[in-house]
Formats: sequence, C-alpha cells, structure tokens
Amino acid sequence: MIFEKRTERIFLAIFFVIALCIPLFLEDNSFFVGKATTILILAVFVMSLDFLVGRVGLVTLGHALFYGLGGYLFVIVTPEYEAVNFWIYAMYIMGISALVALVVGVVVLRTSGIYFIMITLAISQMAYYFFFDSLEFGGNDGLFIFMKPETSIFGLNFLNLDNPTHFYYLSLLAVLVTLLAIKIILRSRFGRIVEASRLNPERTEALGYNIFAFRLISYIIGSTLAAYAGLLFALQYGYVNPQFMTWEMSGTALVMSILGGMGTIYGAILGTITYEGLQYFFEHMSEDWMLFMGGAIILMVLLLRKGLAGYLEKLLEK
Amino acid sequence: MANDIILETESLSKHWGGIKALNDISLQFQDKQLHGVVGPNGAGKSTLLNMLCGTLKPTSGCIFHKGDQIEGMKPWKFVRRGIGRSFQKTNIYADVTCLENCAVAAQRRFTGSFNLFASRHANKLVREAAEKALCQVGLDSRIHTVAAEISYGEQRQLELAMVLATDPCILLLDEPMAGMGHEESQRIIELLNELKQTYSIVLVEHDMDAIFELSDQLTVLDNGTHLITGTVDEVRNEPRVKEAYLGKEDEEEAA
Repeated sequence: MIFEKRTERIFLAIFFVIALCIPLFLEDNSFFVGKATTILILAVFVMSLDFLVGRVGLVTLGHALFYGLGGYLFVIVTPEYEAVNFWIYAMYIMGISALVALVVGVVVLRTSGIYFIMITLAISQMAYYFFFDSLEFGGNDGLFIFMKPETSIFGLNFLNLDNPTHFYYLSLLAVLVTLLAIKIILRSRFGRIVEASRLNPERTEALGYNIFAFRLISYIIGSTLAAYAGLLFALQYGYVNPQFMTWEMSGTALVMSILGGMGTIYGAILGTITYEGLQYFFEHMSEDWMLFMGGAIILMVLLLRKGLAGYLEKLLEK
Repeated sequence: MANDIILETESLSKHWGGIKALNDISLQFQDKQLHGVVGPNGAGKSTLLNMLCGTLKPTSGCIFHKGDQIEGMKPWKFVRRGIGRSFQKTNIYADVTCLENCAVAAQRRFTGSFNLFASRHANKLVREAAEKALCQVGLDSRIHTVAAEISYGEQRQLELAMVLATDPCILLLDEPMAGMGHEESQRIIELLNELKQTYSIVLVEHDMDAIFELSDQLTVLDNGTHLITGTVDEVRNEPRVKEAYLGKEDEEEAA
C-alpha cells in the first residue's frame, strides 16, 4: 500500500469522489469549473514543491521558474496556427524542462541551506527578467496560445481541450498521476536513500551513497512535474507571461504546502484548496482581503504546527 | 594471511592554516587485526580517522587501499571500497526503525538504488542483511523500534550495526564506547574481539583498559605527530608515551 496513513486514504477517497462529481453539478457554470481546474493545476505544482521541500529537503524559492517554463516552452516549440498533439508535445516539453532542471540543478545543488534558497531565488528571478525584458517572448504581456492542441491517442479523440469540463478532467488526471508518481518514488529504493539524505546527509554519504546524484534526480523530477502544471495552466487560460515565474508564485506555493502539512504530499492538495478557498471567501467579503488572508494564514500556521494534514491525523489516527 | 596490509598512509598531513593538526603520519593497517589509536585530547586521532574515511582531504601525503591510491576521492567511494566508519557522536536516522537504519546501509550491496519504482521493502536480501547486522551487535529485540526510542548505549550499538551492514573489510571506529556504562562497554569489547577475527579494525578510544585489552597494534599520537607504533607491551614501556600523557617530569615539578 503506497498510502500508509488512514487519514491519507480517507482524505484522498473523499477528495477524488467529490472532484469527479463537481462538473456534474456545475455543468452550467463554467466559471466554477474553470476555478476548480485552476485549483487542481495548482495542486500539481504544490505537490511537486512539497516533494522537493518536505521530502527531499531542498527548500527552493525558485520553483515557479519551471512552472513558467512549461508555459513558455509550449508557445516556443509549437507552430502558431496548427493544432499539435497534446500528449506528444507534453512529453517533449517535459523532456526539455528536465534538461533545464539538470543544468540548473548541477549549479544550485552545490549549495545547501540558506544558500540554496538564495541561489534558487536568484536563478528564477533571472529567468523572470529575461522573459520580462525580451521582445520576442512578448515582454510583460507574454505570449498567446492561438490554437489549443488536440488530444487524440491512436486516432481516438475523447478529450476536447476547448471544453472546460474536459479540461477539468485532464487536470484531475494530472493530480492523480502526480500523486501516484510521487508516492511510488518515495516508497522505492531510490526513495529510501532520498529520505535518508534528508534525515542525515552526513551519515548517508558515510554509507556509500552519492547524495548529490539522488538530489539531482529528485530535483529533475520535481521540476518536470512543475513544468507540466505550468503547461496546463497556460493552456487553460490561453497565454503565458512572466507572472508565472515570479517569486510570489514560488512563495505562495510554499505557503500552500506548509498550510497543508509539509512533506505529506496529500496535504499539498488540502493546502491548495484551503488557500484558494480562503482567498475566494475574503476577496468577496472585503476590499482589504489581503489583510484578512494574511491574518488567517498566520493563525492557522500558529495553531496547526503540522499543517491541516497533521491536524486531521491527530483526529483520525489511532 | 594475517599480515596483509589493507590500508596504508604515507606522510599524511593535515594543516589548518598554520596549525598542524596532523604531521607526517605513516601507518600500516593489517588484515584481521585491531589497530588501536590513542593520544591525549587534540592529538589528531579524529583528524586521522576522518582522512582515512575520506571526509577530510589531507593537505599532503597519500592513502593506499589494497595498493590503490585513494586520497582525494569522494567519501562515498571510500565506503564502496569497503572502508566503513562509525561516528564519535551518535549519527543515526533517529526517526525511522532500527531495521530501516540498517537497510539504508545494506541496500547498496544488493541492488541498484536508482530504481524509482520497486518498493524498498521488496528485496529480501537487504532485509536479511539488515537483520543480521542488528543481531550481530545484539539488537535483535529492537528491530522494529524507532531509533530515537532506544537507549543511548543501544544507539551506539546501532551505529556499529550500520557500519557492519555496509559489509566493510575495514572498520574505522571513533570511540564506539563513548558515554557507555560498564556493562554496555563490556558487551562492545566482546563484540570487537569477535569482529577482529573477520575484519581489520582501526579503533580510536579513550578507555585505556579496553584498548590495551583489544589492540594487536597500538599507535600513540601526540600533538599531531606519530610517537610510536607497536604491540601493547612495547607501547607501555616507552618513556615518551608516559611523557605525552603525564607531562615531562621537570614540567610537573615546575608546576
């Protein structure tokens, strides 16, 4: 069983049942389906960050770099007025992102602790200003996606990305696949050494493991998943701009992961839904919503030391 | 062949700026022998051990393992050659079970660690090797206990079990009995006596009784320099050793 905790199984069962049904009830309200889709895409991004920060022990403040990269790469590598195949190009874009993560990883993983935070932040800011200042990539306005890709597999076409409900299910699939992939990796032999490297890097090296290699591979996996989330987000809204890559984006995702319960992975889903829910609630309540939002998050972090997942586990375990 | 040289250092030195932590040390460590290393505080014992296992790079000099020059290699490559070390300060994975602690150590021997899909629990050989190492040090009853919950002495045993689970040919042990009670120390001494039949052991230890009892060869370091290497009796009768430990006689009078 890759889901070890009872709480985890209960939460995920409830989540997926509700998530599968949402479009049935909101069929006529494409705004809410769109909103729910965005939350699912963000959840993929936050899970990939939670994996790196909470499980591999790499506290990155530059994760949004890959989120933006996924979006930009799609516009850059696809022909402008031709509907390309989604699956093939998703693979293609994840491949390029993995290569970028390899290069960035080799540089940033030479540092650790606070220096790692600083250098990941610096590199993502460099990318942000590169796209911000570049004319060929649209500068601050970014780039538009004129043609949504088609999604046929072996000639079978059952998903239409122009249909919000279809796009919603594609995003839900991404959540499921990301969740399973991360859980399987964490349970694997590779995951054992990754866990050991986080708990005690000195000891792990003294047991004969090249922890740099384990961290680099983990970094590539986390970054590639983030790029996939960014690709979906760009496709949902039909554009990509430098805002995808801001440090606020990385920081917000970090808050979502902490709120949900760092390192629990399923907590990332919980944290994303809660954060977005709170924001929606406060936005509609008051002009000064950021003030309430900030206060609410401070309160929750103070009261729930191990995040929402930790609180649920306290209620449901034993 | 009892006299095979497994590990050898040649003019090994470590300088921190102007301070000579270790100066011009040439030693030979033989198979199936326990080689004790003693010396007053600051003599350079831990520095020596850290260089022998690759975590410290020597300023100058060479280290040979079975004839290959290995200084400057990454620490994890040392382990792969069979050079295993324990730490002076207990250095374990406190949050996971004793079995998992040893499984991390054993996994590398049997199977690739870059497999992202196969469950970590699937390989029987890893589990058996981890259990065997725990039994060797007498932690049979603690296999499924979280490492943080066992006693300090048991954590020291676990520390040793993890080294054994890497299947080393030479053990570098940094004060395995530090902070242990008498009974626990006795158990470790028995264990080391047993282990030196199969492994080459380098033992740094403050407990003189233990080290006199166990050592086949004994090296005394003082202030970063190599004072003497010999059998326990040779070392005991060496006047310079007494000086190093007790101070020169005229100094004592002056004090």
